[in-house]
Amino acid sequence: MTDFAIQFDKVCKAYDDLDVLTDLDFAVRKGEVVTIMGPSGSGKTTVLRVLMTLEEIQDGVILVQDEPLNKMYKNGDLVDADKAHVRKIRSKIGMVFQNFNLFPHMTALGNCIEAPMYTKGLSKQEASEEAMKLLAMVGLADKANQYPSQLSGGQQQRVAIARSLCMHPEILLFDEPTSALDPEMVGEVLKVIRDLADSGRYTILLVTHQMGFAKEVSDRVCFIDGGKIVEENIPSEIFENPKTERLQQFLSKVLEAR
Amino acid sequence: MKPRIAILAALGAFIVGLSVATFAELKLFLPPILRGAVVTLQISFWSWLLFVSLSCIAGLGRWQRNLLVRWTATVYIEVFRGTSLLVILFWLFFVLPEFGIIMSPFVAGVLGVGLNFGAYGAEVVRGALTAVPKGQREAAIALNIKPRNFVVRILFPQAIAIMVPGMVNLTIEMIKATALVSAITLVDITYASVQQNQLYFRTLEIFTIALLLYYCFAQFVRFGGAALEEYFTRHLAKRR
Repeated sequence: MTDFAIQFDKVCKAYDDLDVLTDLDFAVRKGEVVTIMGPSGSGKTTVLRVLMTLEEIQDGVILVQDEPLNKMYKNGDLVDADKAHVRKIRSKIGMVFQNFNLFPHMTALGNCIEAPMYTKGLSKQEASEEAMKLLAMVGLADKANQYPSQLSGGQQQRVAIARSLCMHPEILLFDEPTSALDPEMVGEVLKVIRDLADSGRYTILLVTHQMGFAKEVSDRVCFIDGGKIVEENIPSEIFENPKTERLQQFLSKVLEAR
Repeated sequence: MKPRIAILAALGAFIVGLSVATFAELKLFLPPILRGAVVTLQISFWSWLLFVSLSCIAGLGRWQRNLLVRWTATVYIEVFRGTSLLVILFWLFFVLPEFGIIMSPFVAGVLGVGLNFGAYGAEVVRGALTAVPKGQREAAIALNIKPRNFVVRILFPQAIAIMVPGMVNLTIEMIKATALVSAITLVDITYASVQQNQLYFRTLEIFTIALLLYYCFAQFVRFGGAALEEYFTRHLAKRR
């Protein structure tokens, strides 16, 4: 048992002819908060998507808490993972999407209790009690019976965070959680993410363009380009003392845009 | 203004005159036509159930990844979409008995109309299923929701809202297409009208009544459909 929550070993992912991840080696310790940043098309979102099993990888191994994600051991042999194995690994991971992806025909509470009830088999009452606690935690207890279309973007994203917490993940993936939000709503969502990071209960992998926020909450920042990690370090080193030319270019462009 | 009033007045007088002239014979030919309307409604009701079920099954089938399921659904859709409903009815009623399969005209009519419109409906359903944003499926995967629960509880409720207008259209189209069952000896509105016309020669009145009956059914479906659409989209953000 290592203390790694996530390990990528020479992971390759391609869409048709386009290589997105090329021999990616990457590891995250338990409880670590890691930000992935990089130019668009660099593969940063793909890292999260293959972890969440939304995409299949062509080569390499991904370990989640030392267990392979896409493979399993059967009678001592490493074979392709079956559905039960994938579901087991997947249950350790929660994901928050750029576009929230709330279920529009269900209330905020309905969104939160759907998976606990129909996947875990909790009673409606048990699921609701827990969901209400989590909705209160993201500051939306009073919006529990509202539908997504009645909520602001920031509120929707906070519901989406509460929804993924209802399944008790140990690893949280945030895929540009504030990119689809109006500027004045970014703060409320980042506050929730910061609280989660500070609680130390979760291993967090964050893809974001919010440089200031990444600097504050991350234990480590990975700069990824061309499907490979170009540079990784503690935030202060990454932002104040970038070593590779590619990262220096990227940072100067991002700062210029401010 | 004036010519319009004159036209309306003339039209009104015509209808009143027609009603008076027809009134004596109305009680002779109206009851058989209304009995035909009941048959049309019965055929429509059962065909509609078959058509909607087949649409959902074949629509889901085409949307599936499993090649065998998808292929079966495609064959069904292509066969019934590509052939004439009238000829299908002839096949069910006149050809199948030669292979020992004998069914009543009613069953043959329901089967023919239901199978034919199910093929059109399947494409509406498939279109609606593909129109639900991909993110919904991804959220379901991330929450470890079982594929079956995803389809039943998340995908379908959203797809219904999208498919209602198309299905309402097809339902109206289907009710009118049931007129073809008169070709396999069923006495529906159309057949009853033809019969009564041969007896009483009130051509204008009889076929106007037939027209109005179909029109009323279509209006009924239209308003029902609008209410359904309102119901299914009540929580969704209005599309601009």
